[in-house]
Amino acid sequence: MLTPAELVWLIAAVAKGDEAAFERLYAATRSKLYGVVLRILRRQDLAEEVVQDTYVKIWNSAGQFNPGVASPITWMASIARNRAIDLVRKRSELSIEEEPAAMEVAADSPDPLARREMTEELKRLLECVGRLDPDRQKLILLAYYNGWSREQLAAKFAAPVNTVKTWLRRSMLDIRECLGL
Amino acid sequence: MEYSEDHIALAAEYAIGTLDADERAQVETMMSVDSEFTAIVRAWEYRLGVLNQMVGSIEPSSEVWERIKTAVGWTGQPREPLVMPEPPPIPPATQISEAVASLESSMSAPPPIAPEEMEALVREHPVPPPIDVAESDMLVRMPPRAEITDSDNVVALTRRTRSYRNIAVAMTAIAAALLALIGMQVMSPQLVPGLGGKPRTQVVEVRPTPSPTPLAPSLVPSAQYVALLQGSAGGPAFILTVDTATRNFTVRKLGAPPIDASRNYELWLISDKLQNRPRSLGVIGASEFTSRALLAGYDADVINTATYAVTVEQSGGSPDGAPHSQPVFVGRLIETVPATPAPAPTRTR
Repeated sequence: MLTPAELVWLIAAVAKGDEAAFERLYAATRSKLYGVVLRILRRQDLAEEVVQDTYVKIWNSAGQFNPGVASPITWMASIARNRAIDLVRKRSELSIEEEPAAMEVAADSPDPLARREMTEELKRLLECVGRLDPDRQKLILLAYYNGWSREQLAAKFAAPVNTVKTWLRRSMLDIRECLGL
Repeated sequence: MEYSEDHIALAAEYAIGTLDADERAQVETMMSVDSEFTAIVRAWEYRLGVLNQMVGSIEPSSEVWERIKTAVGWTGQPREPLVMPEPPPIPPATQISEAVASLESSMSAPPPIAPEEMEALVREHPVPPPIDVAESDMLVRMPPRAEITDSDNVVALTRRTRSYRNIAVAMTAIAAALLALIGMQVMSPQLVPGLGGKPRTQVVEVRPTPSPTPLAPSLVPSAQYVALLQGSAGGPAFILTVDTATRNFTVRKLGAPPIDASRNYELWLISDKLQNRPRSLGVIGASEFTSRALLAGYDADVINTATYAVTVEQSGGSPDGAPHSQPVFVGRLIETVPATPAPAPTRTR
């Protein structure tokens, strides 16, 4: 896995149109991005489409990446997640879970993350999430990792949609306060 | 501009993904006209984005890359393989002893590369533009690399900003969040730290130092500099990382072709402040990382402005402290993570 500094370099090179750097960047990061969006979309064809669109966007907007506000993989994953969630929300009339092609998502190459490998930011965030009620923790993490809508969360927690909205907002504001933002 | 709690919550829900399609469109419209609001949304996205570290990697099919190349209009010319120059022939044993004898009398060893030649070769490799890094509120940090230094003189950059009581509370909170993740089967148990899983093997040349207390990893308040060392065919062969506080450097092999066992890559520092005479930083080992503290003897401004070059030398490196081949990879340092001020202590609840 390339370090953040190496990825920053590659993105800077991509911004200058360096095709070899773009290929290198793709090779280093595609599996992570695919893993992130596959968990949301649950379909390989849709996930591949999103990954493709994401890297095209990265190719075109590499010059806008500011390493001062985000790490490279976070910047890239944000682009990927936004595309994936846009797709899921637009298809909301069709429940993704019921589609025949929907799949159980499991990582076939899990990357065990020892505590010492977690960045300081991740530890701080997990610490703040960990201070929420257990149900709120599950709410936040299901929403983030699986890209669930308020309706899906409401079904899971047997609560009205508006209550879920209140829970989400309250939890996010608690996390924000805990992070000292 | 003061944003209401509603606005902040809207930005947060956008980042976490729970807004419906109409609300997402509304937020995107707001972002297109209000750059401050955009910054709030992005701040949420980037704060939450660290969660992606926990997601397992999965290979997409190889067709995805083909479609990307088409979509960006890439001709897809294959990268030329790096062409290694001919290194000087290694003399057989009898010739070596004769050479040693004649060295002692007349210093007739092969001449080192003249500084002007080095400089000319260096000029052929343009320096990449410096990356514009915002100075405030740095969220980018290098992951702790304490495990790959080999110097006993390294100052441990631990920083204890919490009392032990706070550490215990924090660890419980993290454990709670992780159990929530397992409970939801978001991740397989192998992804959870401490519960086993495939051990990661990482070939590291140097002896690891013990890591500091679990929640006080070595923060890196000092600046980090990176150089891509590349040859004429393009593509980085090595990445050189320099930590200005410890004067440690690390060389990581990226695309450098392997060379046979009778030769070694050797790293050199060349500075006009040192009359452009190349100074050896040692042989680059065969493993992925090589880490040394050899920059301790150089001034910071020498280190920061020098050119770094890799040559191919005989096994064990140049015998006389001067390079005996043309540089094959060259680069200069660029600062990627400026030195950060001490982080504010976190609030306890």
